[in-house]
Amino acid sequence: MSVTTSQSSVILSVQSAGRVYRMGEVDVPALRDVTLDLQRGELLVIIGPSGSGKSTLLNLIGGMDRPTSGHVRFGEMDLGVISDRELTRYRRFEIGFVFQFYNLVPSLTALENIQVATEMAGDPMDPLEALELVDLVDRADHFPSQLSGGEQQRISIARAIAKRPQILLCDEPTGALDIETGQQILNLLLRLRAELGQTISLITHNASIAHIGDRVATLKDGIVESIEINERPLRPEEVQW
Amino acid sequence: MVISAGPILLRKLLRDLWARKTPLAVIIAIVAIGTGSLIMNASIYRDLKFARDDYYREFRLADLSVSLKRAPESAVRLVEQTPGVAEARGRVVLPALLDLPNQSEPITGLVISMPETNEPILNDLLLREGTWFSGPEQAEAILNHRFAEANGFVAGDRIKVLLLDEQHDVLVVGTAMSPEYVYLIPTDGGVAPDPARTGIIYMPIKFLQRSGDLEGAFNQIVARTFDSSPAALDRVLNVIEDRLDAWGVTDATPRRNFPSVSFLDSEIQGIRASTTIMPTIFLGVAMLILNVVIGRMVAQQRSVIGTLKALGKSTTAIALHYLCFGTFAALLGAAGGVVLAYWLQGGMIAMYRQFYKLPNLEARFYPELYVLGVSVCLIAAAVGTIAAARRAASLHPAEAMRPPPPEKGGSIILERIPIFWSRLSFRRRLVLRAIFRNPFRSGVNFFTTLLATALLITTFSMRDSLTYLMEYQFSALSHEDLSVSLREPVGESGSREILSMPSIATVEPQLNVVCDLSNGPFSRRLAISGLPRGNRLSTPLDDLGQPVPIPDEGLVLTDKVARLLDVEVGDSVSLRPLIGERRRVQAPVIAIVKTYIGLSAYADIQYLSRLIGEDYVANSLLATSFGSEGWNLLYNELKKRPGVIGVARRERALEQMEGTMGETQGRVIVILVMFSGLIAFGSVLNTALVSLSEREREVGTFRVLGYTKGEVAAILRGEQIILSVMGTSVGMFAGTGLALLISKAYDTDLFRFPATILPIRYFHAALLMVLFVALAQAVVRVYIHKINWLDALKIKE
Repeated sequence: MSVTTSQSSVILSVQSAGRVYRMGEVDVPALRDVTLDLQRGELLVIIGPSGSGKSTLLNLIGGMDRPTSGHVRFGEMDLGVISDRELTRYRRFEIGFVFQFYNLVPSLTALENIQVATEMAGDPMDPLEALELVDLVDRADHFPSQLSGGEQQRISIARAIAKRPQILLCDEPTGALDIETGQQILNLLLRLRAELGQTISLITHNASIAHIGDRVATLKDGIVESIEINERPLRPEEVQW
Repeated sequence: MVISAGPILLRKLLRDLWARKTPLAVIIAIVAIGTGSLIMNASIYRDLKFARDDYYREFRLADLSVSLKRAPESAVRLVEQTPGVAEARGRVVLPALLDLPNQSEPITGLVISMPETNEPILNDLLLREGTWFSGPEQAEAILNHRFAEANGFVAGDRIKVLLLDEQHDVLVVGTAMSPEYVYLIPTDGGVAPDPARTGIIYMPIKFLQRSGDLEGAFNQIVARTFDSSPAALDRVLNVIEDRLDAWGVTDATPRRNFPSVSFLDSEIQGIRASTTIMPTIFLGVAMLILNVVIGRMVAQQRSVIGTLKALGKSTTAIALHYLCFGTFAALLGAAGGVVLAYWLQGGMIAMYRQFYKLPNLEARFYPELYVLGVSVCLIAAAVGTIAAARRAASLHPAEAMRPPPPEKGGSIILERIPIFWSRLSFRRRLVLRAIFRNPFRSGVNFFTTLLATALLITTFSMRDSLTYLMEYQFSALSHEDLSVSLREPVGESGSREILSMPSIATVEPQLNVVCDLSNGPFSRRLAISGLPRGNRLSTPLDDLGQPVPIPDEGLVLTDKVARLLDVEVGDSVSLRPLIGERRRVQAPVIAIVKTYIGLSAYADIQYLSRLIGEDYVANSLLATSFGSEGWNLLYNELKKRPGVIGVARRERALEQMEGTMGETQGRVIVILVMFSGLIAFGSVLNTALVSLSEREREVGTFRVLGYTKGEVAAILRGEQIILSVMGTSVGMFAGTGLALLISKAYDTDLFRFPATILPIRYFHAALLMVLFVALAQAVVRVYIHKINWLDALKIKE
């Protein structure tokens, strides 16, 4: 896939963003100074060891947190200055999340977990359609505890894409899965991107997975160490970890 | 470095407690009220019982009293010789009309004879101020202390006492208290104390015998028996009545039926009941909530327990550690309860002193009751915590250190009704599953809101019942402005005389005759009221509130009397008046009416007159007036009539009842509403917080998906709202049932309590419950705001 870098295709841009946490009497910088664009339709993999600030960056991109310095802009919107309510709306309409531990509501069935997202979105899919996309229609009435880890993650992906978000954020989506299941999940993400045209940002501490991304940003100690463009991203089944 | 594990666990305990301080504070408050009410009520019960028993014994309250027309000294000897009687005393008791210097309204009084010297006798006096009489025939009086106080009399004052047909100028020499009049209800009837109008005065025996036309004789004999159990007393009383029949027994009363004794007894019984009811409710609720809260804590600290065990902590130490949570809450609650009890006991005793004149009534300290209260509280807490502590103790270390198994899935029973289930949004489903999958917690939430609502309804019902009772007795049944009691029955001239007085608009004669009514083994002594044809001022009503016409012959009984005598309309009862010819006749029961105070029956005035050997007489005249402006003139006229022994205003009786009972009840209601509120608030807050702690991760998920805090709070509170609405709804029925039960329990000769609940009360109760639950939810909302939902998302399941 070819990647253009023209301004018009930037969907979200992080400009000199920093995030300092105040822990008791000391300031702990989790993110120092990060500048990064997210291109429409790309798969940006953010890698880095634990403590490098990748989760903090994802939180800023996902509208779950605000930078203490710099800016995170989505279109005209500066996520650092808008109200809580607007930030919630941003999450509601623009962002889809996929977590390492799925975060499904245990007392809701697969289908109902997807309804949690579709019920308040602007132009959602039919929840069943989302289930179809992840190939789990036959599990619609199962509770999370009745599903395997891979299945739970697929439900979680279905929940994320069902509200047709602009950006899909995946936080270690394969972290709790075995290799084979992990590959299936990555394949699913790629297939959905092809079908639905979403922009995906995936964070992982697993450097091998970086090979499937269009671009790879490496974080270290709260700054972007490098951004590399993958001329030929690998298919998930070509990656081992 | 070696650190002993004990202090470490203690430190953990204190920190864990501190982290839960708000919900814990509510549990502690509930425990404090439970323990406090136990200690307080048990202490007050002892204080009152001790003061009463001590007073009755020290001042030799008689076990029985017999009123007669005229009995010589030999009659007293006869009573004294009756088997079972320890001692007897003859006395003169005369009704009197008192004319007090500072009041225009005449006061109905009761003058009781005392020996000329102050010696130990039955129904003795405790002289409070002044001195005893200066001589046997002096026109001197010792006033009931409370009566004197209320009217501002001191020794040296003078009052006018109308005895028979002569008004005496009497010198007040002292004031005194008597075990016979601990609770001062007006002698001419009424149920609320009215000390200012209860003219109990004591005068020298010789003086009263002379002015009462009873030279060398008595009209009342009081006696003390060896065995004062009800059955023994009744037997002795029967024998005495037979022996004294020749002297015209007009009344024979065992001690338990003396008005003051009876009121005090029922009060003490009531306190005794409260001693168990309130603590059971509050400690029970605390136990349930503790069970839920500590259960959750153990689940949350699963891996900590595993670690502690792996480090070598014994099972017992772990179990004790979690038991300590309950014990700690109990100890703090008990401490609060002890302070509460100590403080409230004084206040309550001070209040009781206003109503019950007991010289020795003091708030005493009973260490054993405090020990009992604290023990009960600790046991309740241990029972509430034991299940969770056992669960903690039984965890295997290896298993405990792994995360808990995923929440069990599976559908709930409601899902088997697809037509219902398929219509629900995921929010409703989430709420319903949460309710059904935590049956105990849901049960606690449901039951406590039910209890709080039932408590509210019964509390309101107390108020409504009293209002209804007062309205019924003083407004629906009686319509006179004032009633004039006469010493002796008079003919129609009496009515005409009153009618000619200032301000009087209409007069209706009434004849009240104390009679013995019996049916087989059942008997009762009560006053039958003879009403004239076309009675308009006293109108007995049937069950439906319709006036019942008085038959020419036969009786109209009140429902309570009919029940006591086991008769129905169409049956007949044996009737014997205690005045006049005292002939026994059979009287048919023509109708049954409803009353709530005392025992009464009605008959035609002419019929009743014939039964006592007269043609048409009345001893009470009910009157309406054109207005109260001319009442001073009216009172002056009435005071001049020696035949008048009492003037009672209907308004005054109503005001007095509202003033005393209404006010006391008002305070009780405020307290009980707050208690209900605490139960509902405390339980909803705690169950909601437990539910929230189980679902922190869900909160994170919802927030990250773009739900606002408000939307998340709305989803979470669904559980408590549904359970509280159900609890409140069922609580309305339970409260209604409870009010009915209480009304049945309060069915005495003296009082019946109509179970009345105004429809609006259900609305009030619902509104209050909404308030209590909303308050709890507001606090929960603060906790939802405090949740670090980003962190909650990162926890591995």
